[in-house]
Order: sequence, then structure tokens, then C-alpha cells
Amino acid sequence: MTASISLYIAGDSGLHRLHPLTKLTLTLTILLGGFAIPYTWASYAIFLGIVLPIAIWGGIWKQMLRSVWKIVLPFAISIFLIQSLFWGEGTALFAFGPLSIEKEGVIFAMGSVGRIIVVISSFLLLTLATRPDSLMNALTKIGVPAGITYIVVTTIQIVPRFQAKAASIIDAQRSRGLITEGNLLKRTRALVPLVMPLVLSSLVDVEERAIAIEARAFNSPGSKTSLNVIPDTSTQRIARWIMFLLIVLIIGYRIWWSLTFTN
Amino acid sequence: MVVIDVHELTYTYPTTNVAALNDVSLQVTEGEFLAIIGNNGAGKSTLCYALSGFVPHFFKGTMRGRVQVAGMDTQNVTLNDLVLKVGLAFQNPFNQISGAKYTVFEEVAFGLENTGVPREQMVERVERALRLTGIDELAERSPYSLSGGQQQRVALASILVMEPQVLVLDEPTSQLDPVGSREVFQVIKEMSDSGMTVILVEHKVEWIAEFADRVVALHDGRIIAQGTPAEVLTSATLAEHGFGLSRYTTTAREALKRGLWLVERRLPTTLQEAADGFSRGKA
Repeated sequence: MTASISLYIAGDSGLHRLHPLTKLTLTLTILLGGFAIPYTWASYAIFLGIVLPIAIWGGIWKQMLRSVWKIVLPFAISIFLIQSLFWGEGTALFAFGPLSIEKEGVIFAMGSVGRIIVVISSFLLLTLATRPDSLMNALTKIGVPAGITYIVVTTIQIVPRFQAKAASIIDAQRSRGLITEGNLLKRTRALVPLVMPLVLSSLVDVEERAIAIEARAFNSPGSKTSLNVIPDTSTQRIARWIMFLLIVLIIGYRIWWSLTFTN
Repeated sequence: MVVIDVHELTYTYPTTNVAALNDVSLQVTEGEFLAIIGNNGAGKSTLCYALSGFVPHFFKGTMRGRVQVAGMDTQNVTLNDLVLKVGLAFQNPFNQISGAKYTVFEEVAFGLENTGVPREQMVERVERALRLTGIDELAERSPYSLSGGQQQRVALASILVMEPQVLVLDEPTSQLDPVGSREVFQVIKEMSDSGMTVILVEHKVEWIAEFADRVVALHDGRIIAQGTPAEVLTSATLAEHGFGLSRYTTTAREALKRGLWLVERRLPTTLQEAADGFSRGKA
């Protein structure tokens, strides 16, 4: 059984060793670049020219490509079908009877798919090579409330436990003769005896866990310290500021572009 | 020195009309090992929560009377002031794991991170807590990959690392097998021997008879018996209220009926007492 639903792959590459905030800023910069640069092929250039080389450097490119493929493919198919067939007035590329594929639709679909690829792959760059707890730790340090980062990290670890609990409730109820298979009506009827114990016991769990972390001074008003030190360098700090600047520039460029070309 | 002073405590949870604790008065001196026994719904857990401040701070509800712990009136201070003095561990080891940490070492350090203990001191204290609970070899394992007994010892270590003055344990072995229970009891015994005040809710009366200095029996939110394990665990009051007695006491009671146990001899609570009683009784 996997210990968590986190995508993190342990490693010791340069990417893994980067400060989590550096990776987070990098992801945001790439993401924004993919969205804001108003050219269809920009997102593909960003993916091939920036994201992929970094992924290769971090040794996570295989997992990244696999996940991108799995997530993007269904999107891509539906976007292509809808945008190319139902574009309306445009330059027809092919026509089969009443259906015709419009060139503008295809280009628009390419642009959308490219953006999805950039979003997914840049997030994978962060999540595949960063331990969730060190990211949250870093976020707490810059002022994100500990309650919020705690919820994010525990969710990652507790969801598999929740699944295991659900599985054991299903087994227990089936052993008492609950029918969980069959037509829709039978399945719907089986939901109540499965969901009720899961929800009720989870509420008890949440209360107990709240007491347990409270007993360990979670709501202590003073400042917190941290066992794990996340190494940071001045180079990385400078890099983060440059990326911030870049984000501002990209947004500015996009606003300028919109004002100039849309009217 | 009195470290816990409960005076005429009556407490009702917000969702009920029935008092979970009714006119409970209790004093515990520093370094004492106090066991609390009682059937389900007797108010044992509620008493634990009252001693550690979760009643009334966490559960709200209505509280009458007074609880003083380590010189603080629990109603006049915050829960945070109290958790630094009173460590609380309870039944389900799984729910006591924070879920925010990836190794046992980090898990045990969680409380120290929250109280802002400097890093060097933190490492030292965590190592000591791990040694005390005998889980130092598990330091780098994921807390979720451990057995129940190991997880319960992680929960204990996580509380001990905060160096509380009083340790309140609510059935810490109820979900463990005999081996796991023994591991946890050994740690509790060592804590008590080192001078820590221990309040333990427990059903396993054989263990209480062996380790506790004093026993309090709760029934329907009231204290019905209080005294040394030998007095309380063999008292007629307990049997009347349907308490589970130790197997030694039960056997000797049966033997008494059949004339195999001397009438003037007190009923045994430990294996040693039973063996003594039976060997002399026969002679």
C-alpha cells in the first residue's frame, strides 16, 4: 500500500535540491508565460524549450510525460472535436457531407491544448520533485497560516487511509449480506450503509486528531521552529526576484497586447 | 505536593442533558501513579479531558466546580498553557499521528516545532524521547508503516518529548495485543518511576494492581470507590456495580465460597498474592 497520494518521486537531482519556493516561483512563471503569451505556438515552445529540459535535469521527465499524456489526451480529443467541427464560419479544410473541419477551429484547439500541457507539466515540475511537507514548511515561513498548510499536507497522507477504511467498511457490510452489485437501484440502495459509517467514523477521527494536535500545542501563539532546515542560497533568492519581475513583465505585456490588438 | 486538585466537578456535554461527571472530587500528589477504572460511559474519558483542559476549552458544555492542575485553574487559563503542563494520550494510536510528518523522528518533533524550541535542543529531546519509549530504531520509518503498539509508543514519545509535569493516558493499550500492551505499560512504568505524575485509565486490572499507587472507580459519573489497588480492586462495591475483577480476585472469591480461601485473608489482586494465599490456605 502506498504511503501517500503525493506525486513526489524521491531523488537527489539539482531540481530536487532547489528551495521549494524557487520551484514554486518557476512553476508560476512558466504557467503564466504559457497563458499570457498570445501566440498559438508559444506554449509548445515553452514546454519543449523550458519545461522538458528542466524535467530531464531533474530526472523526472518520464513520469512527467506519462502523466501529461494521460491527463491531456482526453481533453485534447474533446477540444479538437468540438472546436474543429463547430467553429461556424471559417476556412474549411475537409468536408464530409454536412460536417466540415475549419482551419481556425483547429488552430484554436491547438492553442488550448498547448496551454493545458503547460499548466499540467509545470505543476508536475513542482510536485514530482518537491516533498509536500517541505513546500508547506516553506510556505508557512513566508506567512501562509499553519492551519492551511497542515490541511494540505495531511490530506495528501490521509486520503489513502480513508480509501482503506472505505474498503474495509464495504467488506464488513458485504459479509453481513449487503448487496453492492447489480442494477442502479440496488447500488444506490447500498450507498447508505456504506457512506454513513464512513462519514460518522471519519468525524470521530477528525475530532480525535484535533485533540491530538492540540495536545501538542498546535495552536501555540508563539513563533514556530522547524526540524528540517531547507537550504536556500542567495543565487536562488535573486533568481526568485528575477522571476517575480518576469511575471510582472509578462502580465504587463499581456495587458498592453490586449489593449492594442483587440479593438 | 498536590499537583491535581478537582473540587466538586460536575460537567455536562453541550449536546446532552445528563451530566458526564457528577460532583467529582479528587486530589493527586506529585509523582503519584493514579489509575481510573469504570465501565463504558462512566466518565473516565471526560475526567481525562477535564484534567488536561479539553473540558471545557475544547468541548465547551457547562462545568461547575473547580479543577486545578499544576497551580492553574483550568477555567482561567488557555488550553495552550495547559498542554505544556499536562500531556494527553488516548486510545486510537492512528488518530494521534499528526499526518503532517513523514518520519517518526519528525512526528515526535511536531510538538516542539509548535512551541518554538530551537533546532539543536529539539534533536536532543526527540532522541531522548525515542530512547525512553524504545523506538529509536524506528526514527526514519513512516509513522503509518508501524504496528499499533509501535504507533502508540510514537504517540507517547510525542507527548513525553514536551516534558509535561502530568501524564494523562486514556486507555492507551485498549487497541493493542498483549505484546503491544506490555511494551506500552513498560514505558508508563518507567515514566512513573522517574517521578512523573501519571493518570491512567485502564481496563486491565492485573496491570493496575501491579503498578498503580491508587485507584479511583467511576460509575455513572461519580466516584464510588477510592484507595489502594488492594482495597479497591477487591471491594464488594466494585463487584456490585458489575466491574471486571482481576482473574486472581475472581478465582479466590470462588475458592472462598468452597472453603479453599481463608475468610480472614484479603482477596488477592496479583499473581504473587494469589500464590501465597493458596499455598498457605491449603497448609
